[in-house]
Amino acid sequence: MKRELLTGNRAAALGALLARVDYLPAFPITPQTEIIETIGAWIEDGKMDCRMVTMESEHSMITAAGAAAVTGVRVFSATSSQGLLYGTEMLYTVAGWRAPFVLVNVSRGLSAPITLEPDHNDIMAVRDCGFLQVHCATCQEVLDSMIMAYRLAEDEKVRLPVIVNFDGFYLSFTREPVEVPTPDAVDSFLPPFDPGSIRFRANEPLSEGVAVLGGAAYSYFRYEAHLASEQGIEVFEKIAAEFSDCFGRSYGVLETYKSEDAEFTFVMIGSFATKAKDAVDRLRDVGWSIGLVRPRLLRPFPKEAIAKALKNKKGVAVIDQNLAAGLGGVLYTELSSVLYNQKGAPDVLLSFIGGLGGRDITPEDFYQIAAVTRKAVEDGETPPPRLLYSEEELLEVRKLQSVARAARQTRGGGK
Amino acid sequence: MYRIRFHGRGGQGMKTASRILGKAFFLEGYEVQDAPRYGAERRGAPMFAYVRASKEQINERGIIRHPGLVVVADESLIAVPAAGVMQALRSDSILLINSMEKTKLWQDRLNFKGRIIALTQSPSGKGWDEMRFIGAICAGGAARLAGVIQETTLTLAINEELAHLGSDVVQTNLEMALTAFNELKNDTGIVKEGKPVRADDYRPPSWIELSWEDPKLSAPAIHAAATSEKLITGQWRTMRPVIDYSRCNRCWWLCSTFCPDGAIHLDKERYPQIDYNHCKGCLICLAQCPPHAVSAVAEPVAEAQKREGE
Amino acid sequence: MISAFQRLKDLPSSHILGSGTPMCAGCGGLEALHEIYDIIGEKNVIVNAAGCMTLLSIYPFTPFRGSWLYTAMASAPAGAQGVRDALDILQKKGEIDTAEDLEVLVLTGDGSANGMGLSSTSAAIDRNLDFFYVCYDNEGYGNTGQQYSAATPHAARTATSRGVHGYPGYKKDLFAIWAAHRPEYVATAVGAEPLDLARKIEKAKKMKGPRLIIVLSPCPTGWGYDPQESVEIGRLAVKTGIWPLKEYEDGKVVHTKISRPRLPVEEYLSRQERFQHLFRPQRDEQLLAEIQNRVDAYWQAIEGR
Repeated sequence: MKRELLTGNRAAALGALLARVDYLPAFPITPQTEIIETIGAWIEDGKMDCRMVTMESEHSMITAAGAAAVTGVRVFSATSSQGLLYGTEMLYTVAGWRAPFVLVNVSRGLSAPITLEPDHNDIMAVRDCGFLQVHCATCQEVLDSMIMAYRLAEDEKVRLPVIVNFDGFYLSFTREPVEVPTPDAVDSFLPPFDPGSIRFRANEPLSEGVAVLGGAAYSYFRYEAHLASEQGIEVFEKIAAEFSDCFGRSYGVLETYKSEDAEFTFVMIGSFATKAKDAVDRLRDVGWSIGLVRPRLLRPFPKEAIAKALKNKKGVAVIDQNLAAGLGGVLYTELSSVLYNQKGAPDVLLSFIGGLGGRDITPEDFYQIAAVTRKAVEDGETPPPRLLYSEEELLEVRKLQSVARAARQTRGGGK
Repeated sequence: MYRIRFHGRGGQGMKTASRILGKAFFLEGYEVQDAPRYGAERRGAPMFAYVRASKEQINERGIIRHPGLVVVADESLIAVPAAGVMQALRSDSILLINSMEKTKLWQDRLNFKGRIIALTQSPSGKGWDEMRFIGAICAGGAARLAGVIQETTLTLAINEELAHLGSDVVQTNLEMALTAFNELKNDTGIVKEGKPVRADDYRPPSWIELSWEDPKLSAPAIHAAATSEKLITGQWRTMRPVIDYSRCNRCWWLCSTFCPDGAIHLDKERYPQIDYNHCKGCLICLAQCPPHAVSAVAEPVAEAQKREGE
Repeated sequence: MISAFQRLKDLPSSHILGSGTPMCAGCGGLEALHEIYDIIGEKNVIVNAAGCMTLLSIYPFTPFRGSWLYTAMASAPAGAQGVRDALDILQKKGEIDTAEDLEVLVLTGDGSANGMGLSSTSAAIDRNLDFFYVCYDNEGYGNTGQQYSAATPHAARTATSRGVHGYPGYKKDLFAIWAAHRPEYVATAVGAEPLDLARKIEKAKKMKGPRLIIVLSPCPTGWGYDPQESVEIGRLAVKTGIWPLKEYEDGKVVHTKISRPRLPVEEYLSRQERFQHLFRPQRDEQLLAEIQNRVDAYWQAIEGR
């Protein structure tokens, strides 16, 4: 095992290489493109034995990925943002086929307005499609999650596609030291894909993805896919234990950081969670009892683990890098649904929304989130959701608006 | 509340029947729901439509359970489980069947305690052709059995609902509907309004925990070939093609090639054989047979002939 | 290549597509599909897009002896790409024998083929995908009740063109669009001309690469005629010259059946409810002449060569 400097994109590509992926239907989109370019170059150099086909859209890409997986080969694909949404019809469809493969989503904010910068609205928009979701905080975790994701998707208890999600820019284009396992070690951890009887072969007639009529059959199939997804918790824990034995790195369905004995806890997903860890350390330096809980699996949602990790906390601050229009933060509502009716649920659960479209979340933001949370506990009153947004930022936008408006007036004024 | 279900096949006008009856109730001052329910929207495929009518506001939704009246336009559907004709009947439900068979025969055949009425007499003596107007006939019969719809109201409802088809069509449908309406005069008002399910006396649903099952079983996939042959689409047929083998010249198997459903096979002597379990009665074979060896026989007639032969 | 199908007698006398499907009685599309299936056989995966024929397979019933994959309305050719690539990979890896290879066949209606599926079809041809494509063309969105599609002919009444002049647009020339991609093979056919259809399938079956066939599918439900006339309507479409039977190969278009003399288009139009407004309450001479002139112009260009 050696350490290398790798971007998140390259770590994902390396994960596909080590997983001995057979097939890659692809479509370029920022900030994911480096993944398919990297694999394309490896294929041309003879370093990787994989067939890569550039499709004409993500909708077709997901279709081809699912179709190849149900034919019985190991499939990888990658997308981001608009691409993920363009393929959404097929995300639901191929999950319904029970097509096991791994899709990387490099998170990026959604249009309109169009942006290239990261947030989590893309991945949250597909949270209910049937794909399992593994969320990464570091480039190391991207590589390791890729390898574990194939075990998870192909496990006979699950047999569903998996999305490995990581943040655009902050991980996709950022190099970090990554321990790269040897191909032999990965081979012994991840055996070749066995599609079982769900595959297209001569003399084995199979009609796949067929229509159903009637609520009884439809409810059954959809609910079975849900039950298979829920199996993902136990299967993930089993796979992670084996992974730890093989490679020495341990992953739970949650990452908890100094939260066991803490009175207060941050909850968030993705790469900015490492910033929250820093904030935890700095706050602890000045006497706070605070920690971090980061769901690594978002689907299936690790309900029991979350309830246990947050039991008897005084205050919990949920930081959402997404915005469900007309509702607020998605992670916050999911946490609320898990904690309600739980004995020992936190006294207060606060919602903070930040990091939209690449907006930074600063150490000061984290400290203030902690302070607001403590005040809510002291007052016994939960404040409304808070957008992390400063006077300076609004001022900046006002300047842009004045230009936008002035330009229109110049044309319309008929000078 | 009146709860009335119409069972027929796509194309037989059950939606029209429910709309005529719904409109008639409405014109009599009732609150009404009428709706069709399709599976696959196919001519010939089983479907149903339903009507609710009440003097109170109607809060019920969806398909009718425990109907006071079930009207069956196409008797062949009773034997088709997927059609659900006999589903959730009450002991005081009325079953009105458009059939050449006698009521007694249906009572013997069906294990059903409630009243069965067979519309055995063809209202105008035109026989099987009336299937074209069966929607209106069913609506007329149902209106009579409900007993709260006047003849003038039924007439008005048919005029309004079928106006887009032109006055000739309206007139024929009206005649048919009124014939059925009048024929059932002695049973005016035998359909009873149903009561809501009591909240203090009900059978709890047998909810179960679904458990995880192997995806081989629990994915919507079929691991078998040509299972569609288990579906007896021959029941869609109203006219039966019959081959006169004395005229069949074992040509170039035109009928067998053109049959969309692949329901005509060649026997050892290379004579075509029609698979009546699957022939939908399109009669392309009749239209295409060069020596005109295929004739069409109305299903009930063909059935009667078959029984006589046995 | 001498075709095995010289006379009607040479057509398959046993049929392998299962009966019992929920297609309408007299369905011209199903007629063509069973004729095609008889020749192409069961060693294939049929990749389907949303349309009437999606309902061929309703759990747990399927008429197919081979395999089937329902995708979505827009991406059946992409599904074919995934299956084809996976089969190639498995053969290369030695996991399946070459003799056990499967043909991949896309089956869509005209709505998908001319509309939202056109992009994925175009791209599959760009990639020289080795696949069959059968478009059953019933000239409208038949599964939802015959609204007009890009394949609806001029003046046809549909559920969304009920006006006195019917559909104002013109049938999209999908044959030409497909052929412009220069694929291996493109053809038109109709179930009512089973010999012509059989020869085309036979020929395409021996080729590699994109092979696409548009089958005119007379639709008693959507076009408005008695189901028993389905074959006659299809034949008249050819005899009037409205539906030219042709094939594209090596950059050239060849007409495989030329009716001489051509019957007037009225013979075809007057038998269908969707064109009745051209005849009743009075004849719409202008529209009838326009339709006839367009057909004549097409054939003049072909025969004038």
